[in-house]
Amino acid sequence: MRLVAATVYALRIPFVESFRHSASDRRWSDSVVVRVRDDAGHEGYGEGTPRPYVTGETVETMVDHIAHELWPRVAACEFPEGAGLADISALVPDTRLAGAIAPHATRAAVEIAIVDCHLRRTARSLGAVLPPRRARVTYSGVITAGPIERAARHARQMRAVGLAHVKVKVGFDDDVARITAVREALGPGVSLRLDANGAWTFERAVDVLDAVAPLGIAAVEQPLPRGPVSELARLRQATTVPVMADESVVTLGDADALIAEKAVDFLNVRLSKCGGITRSLAIAARAFDAGVGVQIGSQVGETAILSAAGRHVIATLREVAFAEGSFGTLLLAEDVSVESIRFGHRGEASVLTGPGLGIRVIEERLRQRAVAVRELTAER
Amino acid sequence: MNTSHGTLASTIEALFARRVADLTTSAEFRALEDGRATSAQYDAFIENVARAHLRSPQLLAFLYALAPPAAAGTLLENLLEELGREHESDRPHPDLLRDLLTGAGLAHRRPAIEAEADDDIRRIVVDPLLYGSLREVGLAALTEIVAFEYMLSRASGRIGRALFAHRRVPAPALAWFTHHSEVDIRHAEQGLAGLDAYVRYYGFSDDEALTIIEMALRENVFARRYFRDFVSPAVA
Repeated sequence: MRLVAATVYALRIPFVESFRHSASDRRWSDSVVVRVRDDAGHEGYGEGTPRPYVTGETVETMVDHIAHELWPRVAACEFPEGAGLADISALVPDTRLAGAIAPHATRAAVEIAIVDCHLRRTARSLGAVLPPRRARVTYSGVITAGPIERAARHARQMRAVGLAHVKVKVGFDDDVARITAVREALGPGVSLRLDANGAWTFERAVDVLDAVAPLGIAAVEQPLPRGPVSELARLRQATTVPVMADESVVTLGDADALIAEKAVDFLNVRLSKCGGITRSLAIAARAFDAGVGVQIGSQVGETAILSAAGRHVIATLREVAFAEGSFGTLLLAEDVSVESIRFGHRGEASVLTGPGLGIRVIEERLRQRAVAVRELTAER
Repeated sequence: MNTSHGTLASTIEALFARRVADLTTSAEFRALEDGRATSAQYDAFIENVARAHLRSPQLLAFLYALAPPAAAGTLLENLLEELGREHESDRPHPDLLRDLLTGAGLAHRRPAIEAEADDDIRRIVVDPLLYGSLREVGLAALTEIVAFEYMLSRASGRIGRALFAHRRVPAPALAWFTHHSEVDIRHAEQGLAGLDAYVRYYGFSDDEALTIIEMALRENVFARRYFRDFVSPAVA
């Protein structure tokens, strides 16, 4: 298989409700979708969500990086007909981007698009190469920051929907009151996690976690800013609440360092952040080997494309402590696939079985929702 | 969110009123009213109104199937009215929306809008259910119907006048708005009573009911339906 053309869409889809956490306030998606076309006319879609405070990428740098760095290199490749996931991923090069930890959202979008295209060429589902271990996956809810009453209202709504796992954004002056209100609204039967997005100091983290530990907290995600692994390890020793790394685990090297220092109980693996499907699987495998739990996370505002890829990964892993994503039109004013990707009651969703990622993307909608579109062709 | 049974309807009405204010104070709505919207924005608005309501009879028919005895009569009346069967001279409301499109010079867009309305209904049917049973699904759907009636009883006259003044839509084509500004005051009152009856009949606690009603009315529900590119304000 050779790629002959690509289209890059910088999307801006309004959110149903604004979404805020300590590092960002979003009212629309900032996704970049890549469509590739092969020499037989098959197409595949991938998506990355650049986050300056996670990988160091922006929408603009991502679009440019695809156009000038990644696309010319993958367009020059011959993807063998019988190639497996690892073979395809190996042909998507690692690149560097000035000022970025790693241009992983860029790589994820391109890798997923090529995988989707390659599988569609032979009418195979991604599930054929990543066999699902379960028929359904169960997602968590995420409560945005904002006034405490709003957080409690969202918690009540999530309870009404039957969600078993909920995460609440923290990192503000009123964290203890917020967490208490959310726990009260959820009731005792729902597993509750915190996500500080690196907003706390060590002392603040200890204070808040000490105060809320009796409420039953399943994990705290990225309590401290990305920085010395030893600080997370020290915090893990200082609190009874299990610690999860998110912004601190972008690369396989990050995962190795966190595991070696015994700094975390969980790793939050996100496809866009970690560079695509195969890199995410590699980090998850490293965690399993070390007895560290895995959350497959998502990006706020991701479309059905990234959610579909994430669902395949969640379904195939032998154990996923928590899964996030597939919010679909619960957050986006409009999604981009014919099939609804959003989860249903109890956060449950079926594994996807259609060709490629298992969804049919509405290309016209991508064009309608794009603030920039770049067409790329292969130079032979 | 503790309410006694006697105040549930007033709590719901306050929620509705807040959402109506969200719509009518939005920059998009104000631009329509004062003539600052572009003609493309007026066209998009008209198309979105049609898309939002073309399949209302189907939704009402579903709700009638779930109606508690105390609300069944009103829902049936609404359904027949939507179908244009209440009085001899009535026209089906979807036809009034088609008249609106034609009168606005958007007849050529009708097939696409009908297809979008079909797709919206299809999604309601095939999307995974968020709630555990039809009892909750019905409450969410009824909330949306009653909320739109409530909003239209307060805003459709203003919308009709704006489209007449700034988009030059001829008055006969605005019958859908005129009709809703007149009859929905009554519908809105009946609707609130119907919601209350539904909540009682299906044994919801007030907290449980209000949680679902708030979800159905999620921020700026009207603006999101009528202005598809509407961006919610930032969280305080």
